Amino acid sequence: MKNSARLLVRKYSWQYSGMLAWLIQRVSGLLLLFYLFLHVLTINKLSQGPTAFDQAMSLFQRPAFKLLEIALLGTVVLHALNGIRITLIDLGVGHEKQRQLFWLLALGIGGLIFLAGAIPIFLFSILRI
Amino acid sequence: MNSVFFKVSRSAPGGASKHVQSFRVAIQERMTVLDALFAIQREQDPSLAFRYSCRVAMCGTCAMYINRIPRLACKTGIENLASETITVEPLPHLPVLKDLIVSLEPFFAQWKRVRPAFHFSGRNSQELARIPPASEFGRQAREKRDCITCGACFSACGVTGTNRRYLGPAAINKAYLRLMDPRDDAVEERLRVVNDELGGIWRCHTQFNCVAACPKGIDLTDSIARVKRAMLRPGRFREKLSETSGPEV
Repeated sequence: MKNSARLLVRKYSWQYSGMLAWLIQRVSGLLLLFYLFLHVLTINKLSQGPTAFDQAMSLFQRPAFKLLEIALLGTVVLHALNGIRITLIDLGVGHEKQRQLFWLLALGIGGLIFLAGAIPIFLFSILRI
Repeated sequence: MNSVFFKVSRSAPGGASKHVQSFRVAIQERMTVLDALFAIQREQDPSLAFRYSCRVAMCGTCAMYINRIPRLACKTGIENLASETITVEPLPHLPVLKDLIVSLEPFFAQWKRVRPAFHFSGRNSQELARIPPASEFGRQAREKRDCITCGACFSACGVTGTNRRYLGPAAINKAYLRLMDPRDDAVEERLRVVNDELGGIWRCHTQFNCVAACPKGIDLTDSIARVKRAMLRPGRFREKLSETSGPEV
């Protein structure tokens, strides 16, 4: 690994993980905003009648969209749990443990919740076993 | 590790023609980055410019961007960096004067805005001030008064890099200590400055970069968060509840 890359990994893996958490919160927030537009656009199809809506929904049943659904689940879980971390910090709870909150709550427990949702979607909607 | 490769940022006076110059430095036991810079200046390039004073991490003069982290050169042991190549750059977010020397003018401009000096109308009073160590001010001051104005937090902060009006962590920490001090009475002026919508406490994004960078281990984000919470309860500082050992902010 290049020296600069090694330095960055060392910097943000623990000591500066608050910055990493902030960056992830901003990026996941923007991704969710993009999803929200897509969601409103799909719901809007209802105003064009049931056929248009069904057509849009059939598009989302495709395996490629199911993969995006898994990515959406990960983004929502990460954003929500990191949001809880930030709220706790703002309230003065667990301020000294902000790094642990990020790695254990947002990424650790978040990762478990993600896997609990992502594995069934992958098995039953993409592989269709 | 007998020798280490140093990549030092060089520039002409005024920060012009910036480039990186490499030096190989023979390492001795317990050598610091400041010691290595002296070795470079003494043995390889006498024109290398850097600033230092006390050499024992109490003056805050030798803050630099070492391996992409703002640190005090005199406090940073080369062995502790555990790196074959060490990059040394001037502090970010501050104008470079030459090589590793930056102007702390933007930092102190914000520092001055919060009126850092002690303001006490009863300065002729013969009464002794009593600060119970268990009171909130007693406890907070013990942990947060050690700032050496090195500018490491200011250069590590993600907000100061994009917002020139932002006070920065050190200035807000200073304002917090003065606001909590039961003897100080310049409360209104400081509250006006820290509550500034575009440059005050509300610009802090809780990135914790300042806490990670502070060489004195001051929890600066905690000070900012405490001022934020206190601002939601008008009169908190005006009443100077800190005199008692009452509930925390």
